Amino acid sequence: MVSVDAWIGLNLEELPLIKRGAESEIRRGRFLGVDAVYKIRVRKPYMHPRLAESLARARTKREAKIIAAARRGGVSAPALLAVFPSLAVLIMEYVEGRLLKDEVDRLGGGLRPVINKAGETLGRLHRLGIVHGDPTTSNYILSRGVPVLIDYGLSEFSESIEDRAVDLHLFRRAASSTHASIADSLYKWYVEGYLSEMGLEGERVVNRAEEVRLRGRYVRERKKTVWG
Amino acid sequence: MPSRPRDETIVLGIESTAHTFGVGIVSDNPPYILADVRRKWEPRSGGILPREVAEYFSKVAGEAVEEALGSAGLSIKEISAIAVSLGPGMGPALRVGATVARALALKHGKPLVPVNHAVAHIEVARWSTGLRDPVALYVAGGNTTVVSFVDRRYRVFGETLDIALGNLLDTFAREAGIAPPYIVSGQHAVDVCAEGGEFIEGIPYVVKGQDVSFSGILTASLKLLKRGARLRDVCYTLREVAFSSVVEVTERCVAHTGKKQVTLTGGVAANKLLNSKMEAMASLQDAVYKPVDVRLSGDNGVMIAVTGLAAFRSGVTVEPEKAFIRQKWRIDEVDIPWYPWMPGLG
Repeated sequence: MVSVDAWIGLNLEELPLIKRGAESEIRRGRFLGVDAVYKIRVRKPYMHPRLAESLARARTKREAKIIAAARRGGVSAPALLAVFPSLAVLIMEYVEGRLLKDEVDRLGGGLRPVINKAGETLGRLHRLGIVHGDPTTSNYILSRGVPVLIDYGLSEFSESIEDRAVDLHLFRRAASSTHASIADSLYKWYVEGYLSEMGLEGERVVNRAEEVRLRGRYVRERKKTVWG
Repeated sequence: MPSRPRDETIVLGIESTAHTFGVGIVSDNPPYILADVRRKWEPRSGGILPREVAEYFSKVAGEAVEEALGSAGLSIKEISAIAVSLGPGMGPALRVGATVARALALKHGKPLVPVNHAVAHIEVARWSTGLRDPVALYVAGGNTTVVSFVDRRYRVFGETLDIALGNLLDTFAREAGIAPPYIVSGQHAVDVCAEGGEFIEGIPYVVKGQDVSFSGILTASLKLLKRGARLRDVCYTLREVAFSSVVEVTERCVAHTGKKQVTLTGGVAANKLLNSKMEAMASLQDAVYKPVDVRLSGDNGVMIAVTGLAAFRSGVTVEPEKAFIRQKWRIDEVDIPWYPWMPGLG
C-alpha cells in the first residue's frame, strides 16, 4: 500500500495540528499550491480493528462524495482537493475564520442574520438530498460574514423527513447545551433560514423535529427489562 | 455506637422505578452510607411485568424500611428527611415508593425530597468517583444517555433514538434463548456467550450525530442467527458494535464540551468490555475515567438518599400531597442547585 506521505511528497505528521477531534486530526498545509487542511480519520483504538478500519474507510469515501455534491449544489462548504479512502485522508481548502460557536456571544445584533444564513445552508443541503448529521455551531466556520458548513463526516445521502428532522433536532439540542440562555432564539432563527430555503416541505420537517425531540426522551413507551 | 454530630443531616431514600425496591440511608458525615437494603423482583421468564412488580414491592416495602433503620441503628426520629425517586419509571412500581415515602413524611413530620432517578444515577457516580464535573454515559435497561452539566442542569448530548442498550442485550438474549437469567455471577448472558467469538460482517453500526440506534442491530443479529451464523460470533459482534457506538457518542460529547472527566453509570456500568472501551476513549481524549462504584451501579436506595441529601441541603422539598410520580420525567427538566457539591467531596 502506498503511503499518502509518499504520494503527495510530504510527511503528514510534520504538518501543524489544528485540531484533534473525536473523529479526526485536522492538519494545516499546502496542496498543489493551495492553502489546505488535511483531515486524517482516526481509527478508533477502542474498536475492533476490522470495525475501526471499515468505518474509517467508508466514512472517508462517503464524506468526499458528499462534499463534492454539496459544493456543486451551491452549499457554502470547503472545496475538496483530494481523497485517499484506503488511507482515510481527505484534503480540502483551508477556510479562513472562526467557529460560529465562539462567535455567538460576540455577534450581538448581527447574530440573527448569521444564524438565518446557517439555517438556509442546511436547507440547501437538504434540497440536494443530503443530511449533515451534526449541524451544530461547532461545525460552522464564520468566514467573512458567511457561515461555512464544515465536517461532513457524519453526512448521508437521504431525503427522508426523519433524517432531516434529526438534523434540526441536533442543532437545537447542541444550542441548548452550548448556548443555553439563548437557545430558543437560536433555534427560531435557524428554522427561519431553513424554511426560507425549504419552503412548505420544510414545515413538515420542523414539525417532525418536534416529534423527534419528544420521542427521544422517555416519551415513547419502551419495554422495561430487568435492568431498569 | 459513637454519638452523632449535632449538625448531621441524615436522609432516607426510597427507590422503586423498575425492578428494585431500595431503601438507602446516607449521612453527610463519614461513613456516609448507613444502610443499603434492596429487594429485587426477578422474572421467571420474559421481561418486567409492572403489576407483578408493584404487588411484590407492596409486600416488601415495610420490612425493607425497617431493615434499613435497623442496620443503621437509627430510629425514624433521627432521620432529617425522606427522599423518593418520583420518576422516570413504571407507574405501578413508582406509586409504591411514592406512597411509602409520603406516609413516612406525613406520619413522622419529615420533609419530603423529590429525586429524579436518572439524576440520582449521575450523582451517585460523581459521589463515588470523586469526579466533580464529568461527562456521564448512563446505560441501563431503559436508558442510554450521554449527559453533562451545563447551566443549572444536566443536558442531554446524545441518546438512543430507539431502544436502550440494556434492552438490546436483554431482548437479544431472550430471543436467542440464552436468558433469563440475564445476569449470571455478574456477567450478562451475551457476555458469557461472546467468549471465543469472532467479528463477523452484517451488523449495522448506526451513529447519527450524537445519537445511537440499536433496533437495527437487534434485527440484524437475530437474522444472522436464523441464517446459521454461530451464536458466539453474533454475541461478540453485537456487543462490539453496540458498545463501540455508545463510546463513540460519549467521545463526541467529551470533545464538544472539552471536559476532562468521564464516568459511566447505570445497570450496565459493571460491564467489563464497556469499561475497557470507555477507558481507552478517555485516554485518547486526555480525560480521567472512573466508573461508578460497581456496588452502586444498579438501582438502589443509596443513590436516591445521597441525591436527596444534596437537594435537601439546597432547600429542595415537596409537599407530600403534591409529590406526584412522573413516569416520563426527563433529566434535563431538573435544576441541580447543589452542583458540583456532594457530601464528603465539598
